[in-house]
Amino acid sequence: MSSLSGAIPFPATKDGTRGRTRVDHRNSEEAALVRRVQARDEMAFREIVERYQSKVFSIIYGILRNRNDAEDIAQQVFAKIYFSIRNFDFRSSLLTWIYKITVNECYDYLRKKRVRKLVYESDFSAEDAQRMEASDPAVDPRTPVDVRLAQRDLIVKLLAKVSEQDRSLILLKEVNGHSVEELAAMTGLNENTIKVKLFRTRQKLLKAASRLTRIRTAGT
Amino acid sequence: MHRLVRDHIEDVVAGVEAAPVAEHLRACEECRRDAAAMRAQSAALRELRAPDDAEPRPGFYARVMERIEAQGPASIWNLFIESAFGRRIAVASLALALLLGVYVISSERAADQPILAGQQAQPAVVLGEDAPGRVISQMDQSSMGQSSDDAVLVNLVTYQEQ
Repeated sequence: MSSLSGAIPFPATKDGTRGRTRVDHRNSEEAALVRRVQARDEMAFREIVERYQSKVFSIIYGILRNRNDAEDIAQQVFAKIYFSIRNFDFRSSLLTWIYKITVNECYDYLRKKRVRKLVYESDFSAEDAQRMEASDPAVDPRTPVDVRLAQRDLIVKLLAKVSEQDRSLILLKEVNGHSVEELAAMTGLNENTIKVKLFRTRQKLLKAASRLTRIRTAGT
Repeated sequence: MHRLVRDHIEDVVAGVEAAPVAEHLRACEECRRDAAAMRAQSAALRELRAPDDAEPRPGFYARVMERIEAQGPASIWNLFIESAFGRRIAVASLALALLLGVYVISSERAADQPILAGQQAQPAVVLGEDAPGRVISQMDQSSMGQSSDDAVLVNLVTYQEQ
């Protein structure tokens, strides 16, 4: 993996237009909703909760695999949104902002609880495991569930090693399935920047994984 | 990893790479190995996808509002309690207050030292076993020299205090 290290400049896109995906987050329908919440309109806040509660819950449940904790953290996420929406500056989409708060809350929770054996202590049921088997055709179905759970546990730990922004970006890409173009529109960054950030995050995760493996090997 | 693969890594990870990239991966062992590691990582990340029916229980909005009411508006004190920066400011303020306190106390003590008008600021009494005798002799000297009642009183007061 030696060739993976170092900053790698990505070339500009050939057509010269794909690199820039500017979306005006100030003049959308969503921005109007945010402004109403900023003016302390309770109905607008209710609309935001109802619009994003499933998404927020899914993100948290995907990381923690515990419904009670997911519910508790989801409530905290919306409380945080309520108190800090005045600081929302429309530089990114509301979803990106909410996503970042949600992932940060998950990692704050993990840090506070010092959850080590995350998956095994959760309420991950046999039913969940079956769903997991069937949910993603990209994952090799021959891989045993316990190995996949261990991989989940490991990737949650590794994600704690990268910055908040990188973490949100890679999760939006891999977990929520957004394309590079969509990420550019959501974040206000250009596509090349998104690609560079994603690549570097992948590099960092691999390096962190090999470091962890070395430590584990040295410890045995 | 070679630039060709690097530039198209999102396609490679998704398994939809173009023919030239696929051809390079077949020929280059290093790129093949790195691409495989990133694909495995991507698969592990996708394990974080929640099942489709992951939804909060009914009445979620009401519970959120209850929590908001319980937490109340953010207080200025939360800034000090909840953030590391705030805690540092609080510690620095305490240290500063302590320093100021020490300074005030020490300067008050210095002000309490007996300084007689027209005399050098010398200790009236250096205590030891012969302290009473020395006080009396100083009293005698001062009565012979400037003969000041105030000086005698100050010496006596200082002796008693110490």
